[in-house]
Amino acid sequence: MKFIKNHLMFILPLMAILLGIEFFLVFDRTTDSYERGLKEGYSMLVVAKKTMTLEELKQLNEHIDSSENIKRENIVDQIAKGISKSSAQEILQALPYFYSVRLDSYVSTSELEKIKKDLEKNKNIRNVETFGSSYSSNYRLFSFIKFTLRIFIVFMGVISLFLIIKQMEVWKYAHKERMQIMEIFGAPLMLRSGVLFKIALLDALVATIITGAFFLYLKFYWAGKSGIDIMMQNQEALFRMTDIAILLASAIAIVVFAVYTVVFSSAGGQE
Amino acid sequence: MSNVISASHLTLAYDRGKKEIIKDATFNIKKGDFVFITGPSGSGKSTLLKALYGQIKPIEGNLVVGGLDLTTARQRKLQDLRTHMGIIFQDYKLINEWTVAKNVVLPLMIAGYSLDVQQTQAHRLLKHVKLSEHADKYPMELSGGEQQRVGVARALSKNPVVILADEPTGNLDEYSSNVIWDLMENACQQLETTVLVVTHKIPSIFSLPYRHFIIESKGVYEVH
Repeated sequence: MKFIKNHLMFILPLMAILLGIEFFLVFDRTTDSYERGLKEGYSMLVVAKKTMTLEELKQLNEHIDSSENIKRENIVDQIAKGISKSSAQEILQALPYFYSVRLDSYVSTSELEKIKKDLEKNKNIRNVETFGSSYSSNYRLFSFIKFTLRIFIVFMGVISLFLIIKQMEVWKYAHKERMQIMEIFGAPLMLRSGVLFKIALLDALVATIITGAFFLYLKFYWAGKSGIDIMMQNQEALFRMTDIAILLASAIAIVVFAVYTVVFSSAGGQE
Repeated sequence: MSNVISASHLTLAYDRGKKEIIKDATFNIKKGDFVFITGPSGSGKSTLLKALYGQIKPIEGNLVVGGLDLTTARQRKLQDLRTHMGIIFQDYKLINEWTVAKNVVLPLMIAGYSLDVQQTQAHRLLKHVKLSEHADKYPMELSGGEQQRVGVARALSKNPVVILADEPTGNLDEYSSNVIWDLMENACQQLETTVLVVTHKIPSIFSLPYRHFIIESKGVYEVH
């Protein structure tokens, strides 16, 4: 019972940190794809006095990714129904050029304003419509969710780190005497810490497997049936095999840190 | 015969030199010497012993043990030196979660001997200290005298150049104490091991020729 308790006291906070790391990875991937969706669904309207190429627009601001010419003939067709062909021709000649412009990323509202100003500085551009209000509310909501989740993950990580430090003190108490005796008889650091390393590496492996299994369950069983759009659409982003390596490397790094902290603080050394 | 331990104008102190324990001590100990170090409580007997196994660094003078200058030795060299020493403590310092047999062969384990050699040596040493039947027990299951015999067996396990003993019989009754003295006398006589014992009182049953140092008023003096 004591054996299981000792292991759980290290495995649980380690798992909390690994869950935090994995949530961070998953959230980043999911929001990346959501951000891509928002970016692709968004475009601004540029009204120009004469035709403008994409390169000309790109020179005005580096965020401009693509532009699409809105055919003026279609506009005239919509607004000049029932009027003569020559009048329609006159309207067409008087009409400016319209471009639907897409950006390379989902930028902030202040950046959006800057893009607008950069474009309007060009004498050939008559007007730029950014549809700022709907963009702004989307962006703020998105940023808020991203920020709060990251804060939560960091908070969870800090609390877990405190729990690990607490467990390190228990280890220190339990192993200090043995390590000091071994040190007196000339045992090198690796031999003194060998037992601790074995225990901690086993715990790291267990924590990684449980965390990985949890996310695999989420990916293959829960996400598909959850009814949550963002989960169903991003099922693939929920867990990747490379995540196992990231989780294991993180767990081992925490273990090495924990064990060496115990070993060095238990060392008698020279007085 | 060559010196195993050589101290020259040795000064030992705690609190970064503020609290001097031993000052300007000079002495030499040769191979095969059996040395008693006595002195009042708090005189620095255990401090001197700690300095001999490198736990305390001298603040002045020189201290050479087994050819290694402890005033300048690095941790790696100190570790190496300790593997050639047998150290016996008043409070035994056995590892309670290990069996008696495993405790005995700790120095062999550190030196990287194979499990077979460790087992053979554990059997031989425990037979030598008359604890063969306790090999698989844990230290807490033994009496104080038996635990100290395990400590002596551990100290002898790698045929050390020098044995340092800090009040080895301080917690034992007369019978157990006599057994421990007997074991240490044998080690000195048969293996020509240098033995340094810190004690309050030299045992009356001791039969070997020995040297006697007294620590008093921070000085180390040999009694002739």
